[in-house]
Amino acid sequence: MFLFVLSSCSLWINSFMDSIKLEIFRSLYSSVAEEMGVSLRRTAFSPNIKERRDYSCAVFDCQGRLIAQGDHMPVHLGSMPMSVRAAIEHCPMEPGDVVILNDPYAGGTHLPDVTLVTTVYDSKVSKKPLFYVSNRAHHADIGGSTPGSMGSATEIYQEGIRIPPIRIVRRGELDRDLFSLLLANVRGRKEREGDFAAQIGALEVGRARLLEIVERYGFREANDYARHLVEYAARLMRRRLAQVPDGVYDAEDFLDDDGETDTPVLIRVRIEISGESARVDFTGSAPQVRGPINAVEAITVSAVYYVFRCLIPGEVPASAGILEPLEIIAPAGTIVNALPPSPVAGGNVETSQRIVDVLLKALASAVPDLIPAASQGTMNNLTIGGWDPRFNVEFAYYETIAGGMGARPSADGISAVHTHMTNSLNTPIEALEYAYPMRIRRYQIRRGSGGKGRHRGGDGVIREVELLTDARVSLLSDRRKIPPYGLHGGEPGTLGQAELIHPNGSTKRLPGKFSISARKGDRIVIKTPGGGGCGGTPTSGRQD
Amino acid sequence: MKKQLKTSRGPGIRIGVDTGGTFTDFIAVFGDERIAFKVPSTPQAPAQAILIGLERVFDALAGWKDASGTKTSQVKMEIVHGTTVATNALLERKGARTALVVTEGFEDVIEIGRQARPDLYNLSVTRPEPLVPRHLRFGVDERVSAEGVILAEPGASEIDRLVKALKKARVESVAVSLLFSFANPAHERMLAEALSVLGVPVSISHRILPEYREYERTSAVVINAYLAPRVGRYLKELSEGLAGSFDKRRFTGLRIMQSSGGSISAETAGAEPVRTILSGPAGGVVAAVRVAEMAEIRDIIAFDMGGTSTDVSLCLGEARTTNEAQINGLPIAIPVLDIHTVGAGGGSIGYVDAGGALRVGPESAGADPGPACYGKGDRPTVTDANLVLGRFAGGGLLSGQMQLDETRAAGAIDRLAAQMSAASSEPVSREKAALGVIAVANANMERALRLVSIERGHDPRNFTLVSFGGAGGLHAVALASALRIPRILVPDYPGAFSALGVLLSDVVKDYSQTVMLKIDPSIEIDRGEIDRGETDRGKSDPGSMIETGFRRLERQAAVDLRREGFSAARNKLIRSLSMRYQGQSFELEVDAGADFAASFHSAHAERYGHCDPRRPIEIVSIRLRGIGVTEKPELRTSRVRRVIKARPQREASVFLSGRPKRICVYDRALLEPGTEIVAPAIIVEYGSTTLVPAGWQARIDGYRNIVIEIGTA
Repeated sequence: MFLFVLSSCSLWINSFMDSIKLEIFRSLYSSVAEEMGVSLRRTAFSPNIKERRDYSCAVFDCQGRLIAQGDHMPVHLGSMPMSVRAAIEHCPMEPGDVVILNDPYAGGTHLPDVTLVTTVYDSKVSKKPLFYVSNRAHHADIGGSTPGSMGSATEIYQEGIRIPPIRIVRRGELDRDLFSLLLANVRGRKEREGDFAAQIGALEVGRARLLEIVERYGFREANDYARHLVEYAARLMRRRLAQVPDGVYDAEDFLDDDGETDTPVLIRVRIEISGESARVDFTGSAPQVRGPINAVEAITVSAVYYVFRCLIPGEVPASAGILEPLEIIAPAGTIVNALPPSPVAGGNVETSQRIVDVLLKALASAVPDLIPAASQGTMNNLTIGGWDPRFNVEFAYYETIAGGMGARPSADGISAVHTHMTNSLNTPIEALEYAYPMRIRRYQIRRGSGGKGRHRGGDGVIREVELLTDARVSLLSDRRKIPPYGLHGGEPGTLGQAELIHPNGSTKRLPGKFSISARKGDRIVIKTPGGGGCGGTPTSGRQD
Repeated sequence: MKKQLKTSRGPGIRIGVDTGGTFTDFIAVFGDERIAFKVPSTPQAPAQAILIGLERVFDALAGWKDASGTKTSQVKMEIVHGTTVATNALLERKGARTALVVTEGFEDVIEIGRQARPDLYNLSVTRPEPLVPRHLRFGVDERVSAEGVILAEPGASEIDRLVKALKKARVESVAVSLLFSFANPAHERMLAEALSVLGVPVSISHRILPEYREYERTSAVVINAYLAPRVGRYLKELSEGLAGSFDKRRFTGLRIMQSSGGSISAETAGAEPVRTILSGPAGGVVAAVRVAEMAEIRDIIAFDMGGTSTDVSLCLGEARTTNEAQINGLPIAIPVLDIHTVGAGGGSIGYVDAGGALRVGPESAGADPGPACYGKGDRPTVTDANLVLGRFAGGGLLSGQMQLDETRAAGAIDRLAAQMSAASSEPVSREKAALGVIAVANANMERALRLVSIERGHDPRNFTLVSFGGAGGLHAVALASALRIPRILVPDYPGAFSALGVLLSDVVKDYSQTVMLKIDPSIEIDRGEIDRGETDRGKSDPGSMIETGFRRLERQAAVDLRREGFSAARNKLIRSLSMRYQGQSFELEVDAGADFAASFHSAHAERYGHCDPRRPIEIVSIRLRGIGVTEKPELRTSRVRRVIKARPQREASVFLSGRPKRICVYDRALLEPGTEIVAPAIIVEYGSTTLVPAGWQARIDGYRNIVIEIGTA
């Protein structure tokens, strides 16, 4: 009776319902992911989650295959399925259990990204899980040697507390012992506690919604369409690959250094397109390095996922199917598939961007009308931590700073925007100064920093932070030595820069990757890179 | 189109005018008389359609009398207007040459925005250009801290230079937005005074939106400045046109519908046009709440399905507002009715995508070329799907005044069916394709309904769907089924519903002030009193600080409402608090009663499923709503004395599922209160068609609403 339209249709148009119900289930599953995201954002405590939205929420079918993910952070896309797989493999879940993990070498990406996974059970339907739901949030601190857990390191042990897949909630009860151990190892304990509660609450929201769907449509149909969604995305990807000219496309680019030595770090890729499939081979990339810019395989997969997803116009369900036609080869022990105990904090945020740059550069010869010049190619991860004298509490501030987008074959790049693997918001100045002992002195577009060309690269940003108390300051950034490339004769974007200004006016240049102790009154100025230009004819002045 | 309607002793003639994209709708009320009609809109000069419509009102008025025998020529006349001038000027980017004055070093905040891109996987993504270009943004060397302490004051010579620069730039409007002006507005006031010499509208951020988050506040004040000259001019011309056309002594004034569901004087609207951005859809929501209230229904979801989009809004006894609305990528952080819009309407186009899925919208055939059945377009739309399924019951639109081309619609749907056949293994018939288009469009609208209800913790089973707008009646029951909404109400004159809504609105002025007060839970929760708390910052008493703040806002509200013509006796002032747990970033609004802390915890639990009374809380802003209570037309009831069995006018062949079925068709104008209608049935009227499928029961209530309820069988 309630299902008038659908049930009456299904009596006679079984085969035909596919295309209609496919769309309906796509809406249903993605709204579950979106709803979890809304709940997480609105109940979280750290600015990094609530203001900057550095999180993702996703839904998985009974086999742990991704069927929907909120449009939050591309870098989480390919990597969340690995977390769920690790949770399923290492940690059998009973109804009401929640698994927590952040170990990059067991389903994680870098330590601040903490992933929670739970099952959706319905004893009336099956003894096995019907779905899995998961969310991941970047915590502003996860312990380790520098506040913000994004500083210099040569081993993962210096980067924070490492959590393999374990149960933090058992049959609906929070494991207080484990939780205390966890909180004792991080800075800003109260904030962390609130954020974890928000993450657990969001899982609950997802679980309830999926059970409703099962109640309404029956598990069999819900599960069938979960499978159809995966196949549908794979079909879209195959059709798209068929349109790309067959061939072998090579490219390489470098990270400036690993923060420990001055050696540039090579990333190389060969993309072979053949019919409806592609082979993406990173053989020849540099061995893993001493500093914290190693990427685990999950990140490399995410970057490939992102780039190929961008080739398809319009909406595509964020499902496991997108990867099906792609074969990814990332040799173990290299910068794109590091082994323990390499430090990895920057792999997620810096190396991921360079992998994208390399992939796009290769594809620029295959689909030249679509591919932009290099964007800023870094997230400019700034972390500041210490003691807030105003409230007598510890604080840990984390922010990524936008830069220039690469020029497109038919348009300028956008200025002051996050590109590719991140889309996190800035912290409003009026929220930041209220929450932390800092003052923002300047927040401007870095005019003229985009690469020249027929179409100009987008400009970077200048952000100047004054410390109102002594603090530990870390920057993890790149494109300070090797600029974002231009395409088709366009010029490269301007390099990024950082400097420290003392109250007496003396200025010190800082490298791309550093952790320093700074004093009250010091000002940190971050200038982010511009995007590369596209096309040979020089530009006249930009309209603004 | 006369209609019986009882009013309380009103001020005379009251006229509601709602300008839409295609039609301008009118409702006029005098004594027991009422008239409602549509005239074609004149988008280039919206006032023209209004003046034409008003002529028609006056022709009809000539013969009217009220209960005491007073003639229309002897009474006062008031007009309330829902306008799209601000919306269109913003969407079409036809506002003023605007300058922006900000704290030095932050000239680019409106260009950087929140540093995000609107679309993640689109390499050709674009961001909306800022409304003020870089060379018209001016920095002032000044600074206020988060605590409101002045760190640097602008010098007199600097202000002189600024005034000269603005003169030279020949701007038509100026926006001022300084950092932390909500904490200490001294510098903004100083600039407002200095800039008054320019002789152009000056919009000041702490007056428009005294709340934290610099980008959102600046965006609001910039939109305001951008629209002020144009909207001000339009309203001035309209007021003068009205005063000129009609007897000045009788014309008491023009009020404008705000996005928040209340109205304000044309003068205020001209100075603060950002408040009228959602003026149009707000009327429908206000009317829906009121009509439901009369029918003794409290909790509703207003459902307004138009040609290109559908607006939905959930109301718990009253219309709710939000501070997080966006228009074309620009945030509007001032309170607007919480209306969620999806790109699904009668004109939404169906197609098969590369992966073989049937998609509908958001692309729309609009009014031109319109759906294939309008005779110009060739692409299949939702309206075409309804037509080939026979759901208009052969009646056309606007009571047959507009004929529909069935052959053309069938051709468009057939082409879609061919594409669907190619994508799946079996052949797809015309009717199957049409049913598919409707199912997918319904899925899109269902997602909107779900977002405002379930996703915010409201169980649709406790709500009534109030359906209005031209296209809604054919979809409302199917959507209610999908969401298990047990009752649908289709009000009288669903086509001119927004015009009724503007007439039902009160005058509303919203005030707020960010205060950032931290409250210690151990004290607050135990005693439950506002005045015992202590803050972390200094030892000032939050209870008295809040009280002082509210009193200040109330004084301002009283002054403003008096200016709008409302004495204290006709005022209502409602206090509320925006609260959160310390450290969160999103607030919940709760009543500013003595037990506000407890209200907050329970609101948090209701909305998010959990709360923690031990956690410290924080009052972010105090909010005051000043209401000037207007005289409202009362909807007349007829006591339903007996049940009347409806007699169908005719039968039509309709596809509800795969096979055609003979279905009874009723003319709404002939259905008296108390009539019961056996489903399945189609009810046709001027401007709308309602489909009642089997399993539901429909009746006409004492207010002439169609009430459709789930069958008990």
